[in-house]
Amino acid sequence: MMLKNNLKEIRQKNGFTQEELGTDVGVSRQTIISIERYRYKPTLELAMKLAEKLNIKIEKLFYFDKE
Amino acid sequence: MTLSKKEISILVEIIYSIVFALIFLPYFYENQEKTLILMDGVIEKIFQIIISTVIYFSIAYSVLEVIYKKKETGDERDDMINSKSYKLGYLLYEFSLFIFIGYVCSKFQNKELLNLTGNQELYNSFELTDGGIVFFVLVLLAFTSIIKSLYQFYLYRTV
Repeated sequence: MMLKNNLKEIRQKNGFTQEELGTDVGVSRQTIISIERYRYKPTLELAMKLAEKLNIKIEKLFYFDKE
Repeated sequence: MTLSKKEISILVEIIYSIVFALIFLPYFYENQEKTLILMDGVIEKIFQIIISTVIYFSIAYSVLEVIYKKKETGDERDDMINSKSYKLGYLLYEFSLFIFIGYVCSKFQNKELLNLTGNQELYNSFELTDGGIVFFVLVLLAFTSIIKSLYQFYLYRTV
């Protein structure tokens, strides 16, 4: 099972750039890029901050790809 | 290929380690048979290393600050990358210590064997000097530092 996310789509829908979202949750633009590309799995704290900022439930933002 | 400030500062460290190895290690290699007191100009060499290191890093980081005006703060991804690369560095350092102990033991063992043959010239060539120890430790430190920084750079590019 691979941990995936809808961060890119939801971020774009909310009108945030990677830089803006990163600044708001206290991480770099590179960290946001890495999460969107599934290269980096964020900590629970960062995942919750992202969900809160994007006003979405955490399980909608991050999910397991069972294939 | 665009590089971030952190990636460039890692490259600065890698370049320093390589330049240090190319410029200063030959001196310690040539003098490894001597003791530190008998090395020609060892104090000057140590001052050269300290002064050139301070100048190199001052200039490199000043240029970096001028080019990248925006301050970059560390986050959890940096912590993860640093912990992975420093763990590798620590493992290499431990492994290097075993190599060093093996080197010292083999020196003493060979010396004892040559003592039995009675060949005084060969016996003297296996003398373990502090110059030799300094050279060996510097080589291991340079090697460990370069591998650790290269791995850190690789992680920044791929994670």
